[in-house]
Amino acid sequence: MIELRGVSKVYRVGPVKVTALADVSFAVEKGEFTVLAGPSGSGKTTLLRLLYRDEVPTEGEIRVAGFDVTGLRRSRIPQLRRAVGVVFQDAKLLPGRSVYDNIAFVLRVLGTPRRDITPRVMQTLKAVGLSARAQALPAQLSQGEQQRAALARALVKEPALLLADEPTGNLDEAMAEEILYLLSEIWSRGTTILLATHRATLADQLKRRTLVLDGGRLLKDEE
Amino acid sequence: MLAFLIGEAFRNLRRGGRVAASAVLLITLSLAALGAFWVLSLNIGSAVEQWRDRLRVVVYLREEPPAGEVEGLLKKIEGVGGIQRLRYVSKAEALQTLRRQLGGKVSEVEQLPTNPLPPSVEVTPAPEASTPEGTRALIQRLSALAEVEEVQGGTAWVEWLAQLQGLLQLIGLALGGVLALAAILTATTATTLVLHARREEMEIMRLVGASEMVIRLPLFLQGLAQGLVGAGLAVGALYGAYRLALPTLEPLLSFTLGLSRAAFFSPIEVALLLGGGGLLGALGGLAAKGERPA
Ligand SMILES: Nc1ncnc2c1ncn2[C@@H]1O[C@H](COP(=O)(O)OP(=O)(O)O)[C@@H](O)[C@H]1O
Ligand SMILES: [Mg+2]
Repeated sequence: MIELRGVSKVYRVGPVKVTALADVSFAVEKGEFTVLAGPSGSGKTTLLRLLYRDEVPTEGEIRVAGFDVTGLRRSRIPQLRRAVGVVFQDAKLLPGRSVYDNIAFVLRVLGTPRRDITPRVMQTLKAVGLSARAQALPAQLSQGEQQRAALARALVKEPALLLADEPTGNLDEAMAEEILYLLSEIWSRGTTILLATHRATLADQLKRRTLVLDGGRLLKDEE
Repeated sequence: MLAFLIGEAFRNLRRGGRVAASAVLLITLSLAALGAFWVLSLNIGSAVEQWRDRLRVVVYLREEPPAGEVEGLLKKIEGVGGIQRLRYVSKAEALQTLRRQLGGKVSEVEQLPTNPLPPSVEVTPAPEASTPEGTRALIQRLSALAEVEEVQGGTAWVEWLAQLQGLLQLIGLALGGVLALAAILTATTATTLVLHARREEMEIMRLVGASEMVIRLPLFLQGLAQGLVGAGLAVGALYGAYRLALPTLEPLLSFTLGLSRAAFFSPIEVALLLGGGGLLGALGGLAAKGERPA
């Protein structure tokens, strides 16, 4: 599902070069639940952004969901993005639209037939436990609910791979637990998951394969 | 899908607010300016055509030819070339025409001891000879004939009109062009503002894999709508002005240019103006700087 070979990423900020990733190689199989751990600034977000082609690597090769990401033509980027769902620390919901509309928005811009939209949105909302909140505006939701809506938005297009960048970062313990439980449910239904977090305890607690980044280098890859 | 995209475009327009409104206004102004000069030039153009059509060269003869020789003389005149039609006007016929024109004052003419009017030949130049140079050359050739006393006729007035028409077209195009540029820039600004307001939407669209076309189309439609509304307003304003000015304008036109009616745009020309407006707006929409695509 994911394959990196000798991937480096150097940001140029004026004359200054910042090495965010240095010679990272690993592979994630279809159906795996993998944790990407490491302190702040270790390159986790950069790595995820490379996977959905929000950034291009300075060196190395990347394959995701059957796409040659490094050699991908610009016009094919949308196809890659349809196969990959992404959630962030903040939910990034559109404030002017209801939960339902936020999720239906995805299907609309992807050209899903109109009659399929409502059942798919409702089904996804049910999967994240938000059926009752469909007509609420994002501001009326708790942070945990917002994050679940963001998950629903990422999942409604049925991606093969879900990338989660510190999805529990804004949440208290209980809410974080909920989201992690949801993620493992989603995983158990067949979605490959890569979860980035800087909280070592959280990584331990999940008891999953963990890739540890530090200073842009892959330190450990352990089950 | 399309309904959704159109809905997004109107959402944009509402958010664009004042700048979207000024984009519409500028498109209206530029098309109204262009259209006003266009309408003027249309009317002058038809005057020019009408006058060209009526253009006559009158050849005054030294003396009235005997009845049997008229035919031969006409042949000879026709022989100089560049003539479409010609008609002999005898002294008697000229007098009759004069009488008719004078109407009530016939008695004064009756009192003349002899008919003072010369016989003449009315010449209609062939279409290919009715340019200013062609007519001048024709007049020269006609003047050279021995039987001819004087040749009258000319195109100065018509050509002046034609030049005026050209000038109006030029002014209209220049003014319309400058305003059109301003209109495109404003439409671009309006769309860029909307782009800012929609940054979050566009980010999400790109993130979930919407095609660039889907992301751009609402902007294009927004520009198009701005342009069409602007053009519609311009045509409406021009038509209003036309109807308002008609009572005063028409007598003036008929008096000065001999035009019986002042014309407005034909449906095709209206469609062209609307299309032009749509194009201006759509160009503005397309020119807007988007977010970095990836
Ligand atoms: N867009 C950017 N431009 C310049 N430097 C960046 C950019 N994004 C990240 N960095 C730098 O790259 C390094 C890795 O950052 P990041 O990938 O965000 O790490 P993490 O997500 O693990 O906190 C940091 O030093 C950060 O300052
Ligand atoms: Mg990060």
